[in-house]
Amino acid sequence: MTDRRRINGPPSGTQTPIFASTLKQTPTVRLSPPTRTREPTELRKIFLKTGLVPSSSGSAYLELQHSSQLTSLKITCTAHGPRPLPRSAPFSPQLVLSTTVKFAPFASRVRRGYVRDSAERDLAVHLETALRGVVLGDRWPKSGCDVVVTVLEGEEDAWWGDVAGARERGEGWGLMCVLAGCITVASAAIMDAGIDCVDLITGGVAAVVEEGGGKRGEVMVLDPCPAEHRNVLAACVVGYLASRDEITEVWMKGNASAAISAEELIEKAVGAAAATKAVLEEAIKEAAFVKFPELAKSRGGLNDIDMNG
Amino acid sequence: MSGHRRVKDISYDEEDYDDYDEDDYDLSPEDREQMRIGTIKVKEALGPSYNIPNKQIEDALWDSYYDVAKATTNLKSTHTPIQSKKQRQESRFDRAAGSAAQSSPANKKNESAIPYPLPISASCCHSFLHTENFFQDAPWGNIPSDRLGVLVPNSIRLRYGLLGGSSKPSKLAALAAARKKKEDEKKAGTTPSSFNSGNLETGKSILLLHRLGNKQSSHSSQPSTPLPDGSITGKENVGKYITPTLPNRQKVKPTPAIERQIRDVSDTVDHSEDTPARNIPRSDLRANPSAFAHSMFGKSLSQAVGSNDQEDSAFMLPYLSDPDFAKLNAFAGPSPDDVVLNAQAKGAKGTKSQSKQSIGKATKSATEGSDSLSVQEPPKVKSKNLNVLEEFEKSKLKSSANFVVIGHVDHGKSTLMGRLLYDLKVVDQRSVDKLRKEAENIGKPSFALAWVMDQTAEERSRGVTVDVATNTFETDRARYTILDAPGHQDFIPNMIAGASQADFAVLVIDSSTNSFESGLRGQTKEHALLARSIGVQRIIVVVNKMDTISWFESRFQEIAQQMSAFLSSAGFSPKNVSFIPCAGLTGENVVLPAPSTASWYTGNTFLQELDTCEHSTCPLERPLRLTVSDIFRGGITNPLSISGRIDAGSLQVGDTILSMPANENATIRAIEIDSESVDWAVAGQIATLHLADIDPVHLRVGDIVCTPSAPVTNIKSFTAKILAFDHVLPMHVDVFRGRLNVPARVAKLLAVLDKATGEPVKKKPRVVQPGLVARVVVELERAMPLEVRERVVLRTEGATVAAGLVEGLV
Repeated sequence: MTDRRRINGPPSGTQTPIFASTLKQTPTVRLSPPTRTREPTELRKIFLKTGLVPSSSGSAYLELQHSSQLTSLKITCTAHGPRPLPRSAPFSPQLVLSTTVKFAPFASRVRRGYVRDSAERDLAVHLETALRGVVLGDRWPKSGCDVVVTVLEGEEDAWWGDVAGARERGEGWGLMCVLAGCITVASAAIMDAGIDCVDLITGGVAAVVEEGGGKRGEVMVLDPCPAEHRNVLAACVVGYLASRDEITEVWMKGNASAAISAEELIEKAVGAAAATKAVLEEAIKEAAFVKFPELAKSRGGLNDIDMNG
Repeated sequence: MSGHRRVKDISYDEEDYDDYDEDDYDLSPEDREQMRIGTIKVKEALGPSYNIPNKQIEDALWDSYYDVAKATTNLKSTHTPIQSKKQRQESRFDRAAGSAAQSSPANKKNESAIPYPLPISASCCHSFLHTENFFQDAPWGNIPSDRLGVLVPNSIRLRYGLLGGSSKPSKLAALAAARKKKEDEKKAGTTPSSFNSGNLETGKSILLLHRLGNKQSSHSSQPSTPLPDGSITGKENVGKYITPTLPNRQKVKPTPAIERQIRDVSDTVDHSEDTPARNIPRSDLRANPSAFAHSMFGKSLSQAVGSNDQEDSAFMLPYLSDPDFAKLNAFAGPSPDDVVLNAQAKGAKGTKSQSKQSIGKATKSATEGSDSLSVQEPPKVKSKNLNVLEEFEKSKLKSSANFVVIGHVDHGKSTLMGRLLYDLKVVDQRSVDKLRKEAENIGKPSFALAWVMDQTAEERSRGVTVDVATNTFETDRARYTILDAPGHQDFIPNMIAGASQADFAVLVIDSSTNSFESGLRGQTKEHALLARSIGVQRIIVVVNKMDTISWFESRFQEIAQQMSAFLSSAGFSPKNVSFIPCAGLTGENVVLPAPSTASWYTGNTFLQELDTCEHSTCPLERPLRLTVSDIFRGGITNPLSISGRIDAGSLQVGDTILSMPANENATIRAIEIDSESVDWAVAGQIATLHLADIDPVHLRVGDIVCTPSAPVTNIKSFTAKILAFDHVLPMHVDVFRGRLNVPARVAKLLAVLDKATGEPVKKKPRVVQPGLVARVVVELERAMPLEVRERVVLRTEGATVAAGLVEGLV
């Protein structure tokens, strides 16, 4: 006999979805697109810290602070290695670096799958190119290092509040910002893992965006947030070794007017990467002082040390 | 050695106060005098083994506010006596040796001769801080408050950060650390000038961590500024030059001129590798961690970042402080998972043993088969292989009929049946007298006849029928089986079980004032509707308790009028409805004719009316169907018995039957009808079957017993034509089929049908109004044996929603 006296409630509660496009202007929901309040050469503030995952050899967490209520980039990275390659793997005289970039299913407004899609695999290849130039692979023969980047909160390709079709949707501009973050955070994680590198690599983005209407509205900005701009015309990501002044990775795309040269754009991106380096240095220094307190003592605190590669 | 630490602390203090002393020189004459005396005293106390300048003694005195003892202690701890180190750093071994020497009389004299300056402070501290001496001078009770400790409970706190991590590094990590260390040592050996040279080769690039530490020295030498001529001078950077338009940023040792330039630049921009292209405002790019980051890193974050917010960012669960929570021992019992697993394990064991048994049987039969070439296990019960139908024809039994007695509670159903049986001498005078006496004992003499039918203690004490009671009697024309259904609304499932076995129904109505009306609102209507929807066509309405209204004719007519109107609306055809006035308690017009007061009534008595009923012929040729209405485990001879009405077909001793929905076979050992052992039984009879070769767990009340050759199928959904008693929506219901009931869901409302023609009137209605006929799809939660043209009742929350006929199996 089953229990017929009890009235069982529904197994789970649900909420009615509210779509932004159906809303009339209400005070609680802001429907005007966000605008960039920063200077064109001003970067978003970065929080970077290593040692997030105790079980990995090295790990780091990066987040970009946002002025408006928009989402901000949040990336974690773990580096596992150097560790011995499996027996089945062929001999390698160098460190086998493998990178994985995965967006968390909730990282973007459109839910991601659990299996890596082509965009994520593409990002991983870019990241690997960037890191390969900085790691001293010949110091670790017969070993491998897995760099796993998880994007907890990604960058939007365009403002979500736009009614679909009013403007062509973003073309992966958000991915470029994500890649820059990935490079920086992976660099921090590799440092945390104690893998020898020639330099600290940082990622930087610059973009040509349309500000007002017409041709003259083309402005070059550092660290663009695609949601803040009406249209992004071109963008460039670099992986940059600041103290050696080398670039290990360039990814550039888009169509800008002839007034802006590609070199200029790269130069701007390099500038953004160089500025990011200060944060990376601070984070590594901080981690080093936690690991080696006597170092901190002998140097008399955090701020006395000046570091450049 | 806590004593030493304390002394050290004091010495730090002393250093701190030194500045103060030097600044402040205006001592008063009194102070000077005190100082002088103090100095002499201290010198005496120190003895000749210390050679301390007066200035320091004065300082010590000043620090200790002219306390000679303290100053002495301080001085002793900060200064070494002229004698050997042994005195200051007295090891445990030395102390032991010393004490041994003290105890020996030879050394005693020696010691007394030399004024041995013991380190007083150390020794006294030792004695005090030693745990066993700690309570030495403490009184029992009344312990001074400064010695009392306070125990602070540690509140439960969540762990922060991510889980995992091991203290042990991997082999490679250890190798890395070793290399790093080696490298470090090597670097330490070389002069720092090697960094300054700036000839850092890629292959020999120093470890980053090391660089972090040494950057200060190499900073000035390593700026890389665009050279004015843009020439490439470095060795290692050849070929890594990106574009010719990019300014050359080589790491070269700058000339003094360039150095000056750099210094100018670094006034505004502190990072040396800046180029004109990156005039980015170098405001502090570091952000404070967001709330999310806080939760990721936890405590370590605020420590490392150095933010001095002391606010406790722990997420305390709100119920942790609740005293009930502490008391609650949630993990005392087995977890729900364990309960399920245990139950499953038990179940698995049962089936395993079962299967083992069957395997054993199979192998046994196989081995036997090899001998006798017969694979079949010989049945234990021998079938007589009768042709039951022929036997039935031959026996020329009186036709048998089952009728269900329905009606509202307390309308006298059981009493009427008791009276019937009593008057027909089925129950003898003695037992009725006994019941009457018992009923009088508890003060309910009118219940005596009802107790003929209601035999359980619960039914007797409550005065209501709970379960269907069966009894049989015989008239000249036929054999009858009474199914006395409970009238109370709580036992409607039992009433349905009873009604489903019946050929016709007897509806008992109390004629007394208000009782009829309350019954009409209550179960009178519902029972009549249910009986009709289960398939009962013939109904005898007995207007009972006519004696209480003095056989008042117009009352009888009124009831008959109201009921016939209702019954015709419920679907009974007027020719199948008859009305009998009677008095069950006194027995008037039941078997005996009506009294003289009821001269207006010329019709049949109740018993005569029963005999007029046409008895429906049962489908004997169809495959066997028997609804189990009772299961009982008797004695040793008949360990397991079932009883129920044979709906269709026939059976005989030795037959193999199949029980659904369990899908288990059993063998009939014996058959009983009306407590008489018989060899066979046919449809229409209520038979008791004694079974063999089946586990009782496979049988449940409501199961259907059928032949293995034509089994009933278990189905999970069906379409049905229903008559709605209440609003029918797609909703959860319980499907009743006899005693079997299964939770189900009305999945679809296909159409509302015309009552007369059965044609669809409205397709896909949203709701079926009460009184309408509709075709619906019902999905069962558990599979249930059902066949087409079977009657089902849909109930929900204790009320009958609809009744219907299974039309098709989906």
